[in-house]
Amino acid sequence: MSLHGWFIALARSPLGHAMQTSRWGFAVVEMVHLLGLALLGGSVLIVDLRLLGVILKSESAITIGRGVSRLLLCSLTVMVLSGIALLSEEAGKCYYSPAFRCKMALLAAALVFYFTLHRQALLRVQSEEPTLWPRIAAIVSLLLWLGVGVAGRAIGLL
Amino acid sequence: MQFLQHVCDVLYRSSFGTMLRESNNAFSVIESVHVLSITLLVGTIAVLDLRMLGLILRSVSVSRLARSVLPLSWSGFAVSVASGFLLFWAEAAKMYVNPSFRAKLVLLVLAGFNALVFHTTIYRRAREWESLQVCPWRARVTAVVSLALWGGVIIAGRAIAYF
Repeated sequence: MSLHGWFIALARSPLGHAMQTSRWGFAVVEMVHLLGLALLGGSVLIVDLRLLGVILKSESAITIGRGVSRLLLCSLTVMVLSGIALLSEEAGKCYYSPAFRCKMALLAAALVFYFTLHRQALLRVQSEEPTLWPRIAAIVSLLLWLGVGVAGRAIGLL
Repeated sequence: MQFLQHVCDVLYRSSFGTMLRESNNAFSVIESVHVLSITLLVGTIAVLDLRMLGLILRSVSVSRLARSVLPLSWSGFAVSVASGFLLFWAEAAKMYVNPSFRAKLVLLVLAGFNALVFHTTIYRRAREWESLQVCPWRARVTAVVSLALWGGVIIAGRAIAYF
């Protein structure tokens, strides 16, 4: 099935029907999406600011990374699931939305980056003062996640 | 109450308020800043609360985490309040009668009160329990109340548009 076909299928699924016909469905799911955003954003900030050497310098970067990884992945899961539900309400519109496509691209990039180069950078920061690469990794991560958030806002506004 | 309502009317009808409200981009940008600032404000507070509940970052002492995190939370608060005030200014007359907006402000005050009580009582003796993985019950209650109240602020904030 083509990509467009998947979007149509989602819109026609039971989830899609429920979201499209319910009065409060979209609002409630969007609130869950926002709560997830707060938690995801908080965990990303803690890890990346440590990687930048701004906070918690007495702890190793990998300790901080591991300490918030469960929160990060759980809140990310909440956001993806609620995001799919939001998408099922207006799948057709989102498919053609440049803001949505941009958000998905940035999300994919942020995720790939998190599980590869970012993790490497965390393991490499041994001493208090991080070197250049961990700082770059932190800034890239922050920019990617910020981009996801801004693009997400743009979906509703453009 | 009449005075408050009058102030809201004045703000609403002011040229600045009208300009914001009718702008193509300014309001949307300010609103986006406000929404994204919840990561800096609520997200960081949530990290501290979850540490006090012993769910994350157990190897970091609570005071050390608080010292690192609270400046971030305060920065987030400054951004939220500044952007929030501008949003309020643009829609002041409508916000006065909006039950969700009123609820949001009440929850905000309660969240602040919860933090104040915590910092002036149980946190004063933090050295006794800061490194524990399981914090004293008063700290855990504060954390749960904090998460609930800030979650409520976010929910009430989103619900404003529906009234």
